[in-house]
Amino acid sequence: MKHDTIEKSIPLMSILVVLVISIGGLVEIVPLFYLDSVIEKVEGMRPYTPLELKGRDIYLREGCYNCHSQMIRPFRDETERYGHYSLAAESQYDHPFQWGSKRTGPDLARVGGKYSSLWHQEHMRRPRNLVPESVMPNYPWLEKNSLDYADIAKRMEVMQTIGVPYSASMIQNAVADLEAQAIPDSESDALLERYGDKVVLDDFDGDAKRITELDALVAYLQMLGTLVDFSAYTAQER
Amino acid sequence: MADEKKPVETTGHQWDDDEGYPLKEYNNPLPKWWLYTFYATIVWAVIYWVFFPAWPTLSGFTKGTLGWSQYKQLDEEIATAKAAQKPFDDQLAKMSLKEISQDPRLLQYAISGGKAVFGDNCAPCHGSGGIGAKGFPTLVDDDWLYGGSLAAIHETIDSGRTGAMPAHLEAHDGSFNTAQVENLTDYVLSLSNQPHDAAQAFKGKALFNGEAGCNGCHGDLGNGSLKGTMEGEALEASVGAPNLTDGIWLYGGSRKAINQSIAKGRNGKMPAWGSGFEGFGRKLDPLSIKEVSLYVHTLSGGSF
Repeated sequence: MKHDTIEKSIPLMSILVVLVISIGGLVEIVPLFYLDSVIEKVEGMRPYTPLELKGRDIYLREGCYNCHSQMIRPFRDETERYGHYSLAAESQYDHPFQWGSKRTGPDLARVGGKYSSLWHQEHMRRPRNLVPESVMPNYPWLEKNSLDYADIAKRMEVMQTIGVPYSASMIQNAVADLEAQAIPDSESDALLERYGDKVVLDDFDGDAKRITELDALVAYLQMLGTLVDFSAYTAQER
Repeated sequence: MADEKKPVETTGHQWDDDEGYPLKEYNNPLPKWWLYTFYATIVWAVIYWVFFPAWPTLSGFTKGTLGWSQYKQLDEEIATAKAAQKPFDDQLAKMSLKEISQDPRLLQYAISGGKAVFGDNCAPCHGSGGIGAKGFPTLVDDDWLYGGSLAAIHETIDSGRTGAMPAHLEAHDGSFNTAQVENLTDYVLSLSNQPHDAAQAFKGKALFNGEAGCNGCHGDLGNGSLKGTMEGEALEASVGAPNLTDGIWLYGGSRKAINQSIAKGRNGKMPAWGSGFEGFGRKLDPLSIKEVSLYVHTLSGGSF
């Protein structure tokens, strides 16, 4: 076909442009929807509890992702420091995902359970109290602000519409579940039944009487990277 | 005289030729260096497809003849590192802490490893280099709660420790009133030669060695479970009750801080990283625990 012909016919050129661009899409995007290695099923993944979801929203609000990644790459120096490399399945309920692209601070993909909640409280208040060379800002308002969770069910419904498998009972009991996780020694059987026994129950902010933004953020951090049971995990062929 | 332009083929397109100055589009050939580089990249791509993972297929993707993947590369890197460490690790596993500490070459190796383990797992609480923070003991002095010998440090890391300072104020489920807690506070202040009310401290002393039973853990003279005695008998060293006379404070030595410690109690927890592991942090293998024990021992000068 002469170049002349293509150049002088807009419909023909449009069709050819679409064809050329589609090849890139077909080859690079379509396989992600069916290849086993990218939609690997793993044991243990669950949607975030209401408290963790609020914590994640605070994580976004404060822009934590600007300095912290949540993506352990398959390199020796990273796996020795942070633990098993991240799996695609581990961000399946993140909308948007929090992989990040810059590490001013350390990666947080497996920070859950690494430090005590007491450590997180002190660290959020003033990171330099614990890590003298830290450049992380202070977040003193987190423990002062009461958590506003009137809209928690609504937020879960939004997540549901974009594919997070929250059940009707999870949404119905959102407020009760949130309070059960944040208030120590409260009735938490229903919460654990809905979200699994591994849900961390703690007095996340060190203040048993109030539910603060710090409660939510620390609950989120204490869960990160702990959901998949790696003792029962074998990597698929990649 | 200007160079004559070489005659070049045009694309055949012509615009604006009404006034006799037709606008034509030259069909210049691409520079040779560019063209051959371009062909070379195409050849490179084809070679790459053959050797490396490249194209998706309906059920997977082409793996390439080299069988390379970044996950395999990771496994190989770890295996190589392990193999290089093996001669040392085998020796460390066999030898006791004391034997290792007497072999300079092995000790050097263990301390380097221990430093990395410490930085990743211990430094968040105990600070970089073990400098400590409020509630988290400093490890760079020779003031120990549970002992600074290699064996004691190893046990602390392996099995963890739990502080057991009870609350004393009635409001916090203790059995003493505000005035009594104040008296105790004054007595504790007096132990470290801080300004205090002598009369109150006198009453506090009676409580300390009597009804409140502080001496059962801190000793009759308040110098802690490692050094102190109660009525001439050595105290249970594993209690971890601090020396109150040395001016070194875990939760602060001000009147207010001491008062809080007595009133509400303090239950600091050193998690177990080895045999007593309870799900906090990452469980460390026995070798890492040995290494980090040796490292911590050197931080304090290893004087015990």
